[in-house]
Amino acid sequence: MYLHHLHLWHFRNYTEQAITFSGNQTILLGDNAQGKSNLIEAILLLATLHSPRAQRDGDLIQTNQAMARLQADVERQPDPAQLTLTLRASGRRTLAVNQQTQRRQVDFLGYLRAVFFSCLDLELVRGGPGQRREWLDQTLVQLEPLYSQLLQEYQRVLRQRNALLRQEPLTPAHLTPWNDLLIQTGTRLIRRRFRLLERLAPLAQTWHQRISQAAEALEITYAPCVPVPENDHEVIRAQFQRQLEVKLPAELAQKTTLVGPHRDEVQFRLNGHPARTYASQGQQRTLVLALKMAELELLETILGEPPLLLLDDVLAELDLKRQQQLLTIISERVQTIITTTDLERFYPPWLAGAQQFQVVQGQVIPR
Amino acid sequence: MSSAYTRPLARLIERLQRLPGIGPKSAQRLALHLLKQPDQEIHALANALLEAKQQVGHCQICYHLSAEPICEICANPERDNQTICVVTDSRDVIALEKTREYRGKYHVLGGVISPMDGIGPEQLTITALVKRVGETQAKEVILALSPTIEGETTILYLGRLLQPLTRVTRIASGLPVGGDLEYADELTLAKALEGRREL
Repeated sequence: MYLHHLHLWHFRNYTEQAITFSGNQTILLGDNAQGKSNLIEAILLLATLHSPRAQRDGDLIQTNQAMARLQADVERQPDPAQLTLTLRASGRRTLAVNQQTQRRQVDFLGYLRAVFFSCLDLELVRGGPGQRREWLDQTLVQLEPLYSQLLQEYQRVLRQRNALLRQEPLTPAHLTPWNDLLIQTGTRLIRRRFRLLERLAPLAQTWHQRISQAAEALEITYAPCVPVPENDHEVIRAQFQRQLEVKLPAELAQKTTLVGPHRDEVQFRLNGHPARTYASQGQQRTLVLALKMAELELLETILGEPPLLLLDDVLAELDLKRQQQLLTIISERVQTIITTTDLERFYPPWLAGAQQFQVVQGQVIPR
Repeated sequence: MSSAYTRPLARLIERLQRLPGIGPKSAQRLALHLLKQPDQEIHALANALLEAKQQVGHCQICYHLSAEPICEICANPERDNQTICVVTDSRDVIALEKTREYRGKYHVLGGVISPMDGIGPEQLTITALVKRVGETQAKEVILALSPTIEGETTILYLGRLLQPLTRVTRIASGLPVGGDLEYADELTLAKALEGRREL
């Protein structure tokens, strides 16, 4: 998969910007707050229809503009595609593939796929469980676009059920249909997360051994809020129902939903110890790098071609040895787009063949 | 946009713009068109608006929009009194009537359950429906609600309430007529499979 051309109109701090990519590595160099990460965000939006930074589409549109447009020309198997995403302050979006408007997200997702690795991911191990769920969800959206629809449905049920729990007085019988729907939509998410980690964990272990040179054994476990002894529809539904019954008094007291995949967790262990408390900075970086490589490999296996790799402000955070390993893994095969404030801490071969741009106040200039 | 127009015209444009589906440009076009019409046309339109608002209420039995206390469908002796099709609003009655396939009666809920919008079962005509099912000794209640999250919840709620009283069915959802299996997404297929029936 190769992103040839990216064109932005009124997106973040870009008035109009076209970029043509060449070569396998592109480095976007610039001071803070010039718009480097905005470019990565634009690519990620086209790949996942989700921004890790923006709450509302209004945040993505240039000040005093009504709409923003993003367009990408992607070389992919079996046919190239042109993606156009129009954002409006109202939140209404228009999605088009090859100038054909697509009514559903599912029909837009999947044309461009990317593994996103930012300095925030270095917090994935030590940060809150919400960050790990976000990582699971975004990985799943790219692997199986239908997941985005399932996630939206679950979130809607959750919002409605929480609104009901906040009502005074609450008729408990009114909860029953919402419980049924929470179980139905939640079980779909749990099963897919379970399946993802089953496929991803062995790949991550192999990468982890390679990067840490077999120093430590990595273990990844899915710890769903509803205990899941096996990935079976009926078993999960029964457990979900039971947990809802057990937690009902607490839910009524706290006026919020306490059972469901919105409270899932993923556990990382190194040599049997929880990585969250036990792992050093360096070990955490190795772990996250292994996860990202596993994501890349899984996407490549399923798609039959490598996705893009977006390294936002993160490459210089890795030591020279890890940078060298990463380059060996991806070079020649994976289109990589890198942002950085300086080139000093780069492993020199990264710079050798790379296309370089300078980003200054919403302008991208070839170096 | 309308501020450049003389006051009465600007007011008309502004009023039209409040209607659903009418943006500033459509409102402007409609207003200018109306101004060109002869006086009697405008009177007829204004009267139609007022009369519709004054005369149209809800049918006392099914809550369909009706100028009479009992709507034409409920008053029709040819129609099956013991089959009740439950719909969200009057638009759905019109859509189902167009099929000419249904010979039973309707019940208009007036919305679907949505706690975020403050709509619970009490805000809908559910109590009246339960009473009606008992009184008419209905043989079947057909739930014809959209398969949205809120529609599903309402179906589940009504199902629990009515199943002790009568046979409750829901309309099938899934593949569109003429749709090709291989182009349907996984979720639509799963729903269609759930709703399968004997040949």
